[in-house]
Amino acid sequence: MNKDRKTEIARRRFLKGLVLGAGGSAVAAVPALPRTPSGRLGKVRYGMLIDLRKCVGCQSCSVACKSEFDVPLGVSRSWVEYVEKGVYPHVGRTFLPRLCNHCSDPPCVSVCPTGATYKREQDGIVVVDDGVCIGCKYCILACPYDARFLNPVTRFADKCDFCIHRVSKGLVPSCVNTCPAGARIFGDLNDPGSQISKTMARNRVSVLRPEMGTQPNVYYIGADHTEPGNVKRHEAGEVRVVTHRRDPERR
Amino acid sequence: MIEELDWGLLVIGYLFLAGVGAGAILVSAFLTLGAGEFGASRFAIARYGAFIAPLPVIVGTAMLVLELGRPFRALNLFKLINLSPMSVGSWFVGVFITVSLLYALTFIPRAAGFGDRLNRARRGLAWVCLPFGFAMAVYTAILIGAMPARPFWNSPAIVLLFVLSALSGGVASVMLALAVFHKPGGNPAVAEDRDKSAHALGSADAMLLLGELAIILLFLLFAQLSIGSVREAASVIHAGGALAAPFWGFVVLLGILIPAGMEMGVIAPKLLSGKLFNSYRAVEILAPVAILIGGFALRYVVVVAGQITGPISI
Repeated sequence: MNKDRKTEIARRRFLKGLVLGAGGSAVAAVPALPRTPSGRLGKVRYGMLIDLRKCVGCQSCSVACKSEFDVPLGVSRSWVEYVEKGVYPHVGRTFLPRLCNHCSDPPCVSVCPTGATYKREQDGIVVVDDGVCIGCKYCILACPYDARFLNPVTRFADKCDFCIHRVSKGLVPSCVNTCPAGARIFGDLNDPGSQISKTMARNRVSVLRPEMGTQPNVYYIGADHTEPGNVKRHEAGEVRVVTHRRDPERR
Repeated sequence: MIEELDWGLLVIGYLFLAGVGAGAILVSAFLTLGAGEFGASRFAIARYGAFIAPLPVIVGTAMLVLELGRPFRALNLFKLINLSPMSVGSWFVGVFITVSLLYALTFIPRAAGFGDRLNRARRGLAWVCLPFGFAMAVYTAILIGAMPARPFWNSPAIVLLFVLSALSGGVASVMLALAVFHKPGGNPAVAEDRDKSAHALGSADAMLLLGELAIILLFLLFAQLSIGSVREAASVIHAGGALAAPFWGFVVLLGILIPAGMEMGVIAPKLLSGKLFNSYRAVEILAPVAILIGGFALRYVVVVAGQITGPISI
């Protein structure tokens, strides 16, 4: 009897997983992991969801990040790109906040020769260990999102770490905290009850450069994936990307 | 442009020097182990290769260490080994420098048959030098090829190109040493033997250069047959691209076509109609110099091209 009940539960769980999985692939990128009995999905997996319908491009996040970490001039952990397109009067401007994607399959980690860059087991945050990094810049080149830079002061690789010092104390990252539009949601993607998971389940989301196979954990609602190269298709009209970084080209 | 890049001239210089060192030791080891048609000058040529090989690798490695954010941190590379091509490569470099120095030591006594033991040590070390020479040439290309975010590098053609370029750079450096230091003097027997060796080296080099040309054409062809990022990345070396001038001028024309043409002109009479081989000192010096400049230009173009291109979508 007891055994039968267990099988029944296992079967139900399996079917549920199938349904969730099918739903997940249809909406693209909504995680469909099997639920544990407590409702939690195993380990914590931190992620961010940026709702670009709310973003006003005010750069508060960029500034908050700069001051949080004293990021030197000329480099940034978090930045906002402006995408302008169209020909007057049919024009539009959208914003694309950028940061480290804390990928589930991070290319920076696999190239690091010293193990200085690694993905934390407990929460999936990709970090750089200053004590081990040699500053070879391999990870900087391997990142498809140009999220990394060589810190001109420390001479080590540097990037967004989801404000690990705040998050470990139960606070949200500085950029999330400061966003006046409430466009950023930070939380545990493995917890179906978290605000980020619930919002993702209700909306169509996308990630940057999914073809790179990195499985980013930073998601966007309403992102405009227009590239300057798209002007070759004349229906796109004019496209101009302002990176707000020292490098005027989007990388 | 170059100072804006993460990997600049020091890294480019290292990739070139590591290739020359790897090529030189491969030529030397092949000769020590009895390959090719070489007469009495076999030992002398193997000796040049053995003496040349460690130098560029040591200088290049020093350049790499200086390029690091914190040079002394380079030791962290040897605290562990992981699957990063740079981690594996740093161990290869360590072994290569050690083995190539030991190998060079066995060549210090000038006479070929200086005791049986030394000869055995030389041959034994040559067997170790072969895989590590290839490993050096291959790993430098796998290092840059291991990044899908850099479509220009993420291609097996770059590995073949780097290996052939390393070999031709090694042959070129040995040819140059032969031309500069190995003068025939008045003895006709010595002069004939030297010419025989020059012919063998020249033929091998011409083959390597033509191989490089074939791989470059395949690389361009397949980039063109591809879509998206790869085609976009390869367009920087097409006519009008940012790197078209150094690529076609220095890599293809100066580094491959001109020296290959010079060498073919010298070796063809013997190869085709069995005429006596005539060596020309000008060719023996100019061809290797052109090849070495071309080898550096190849690393320059490839390393810069990989960094100024990337994924084209967002």
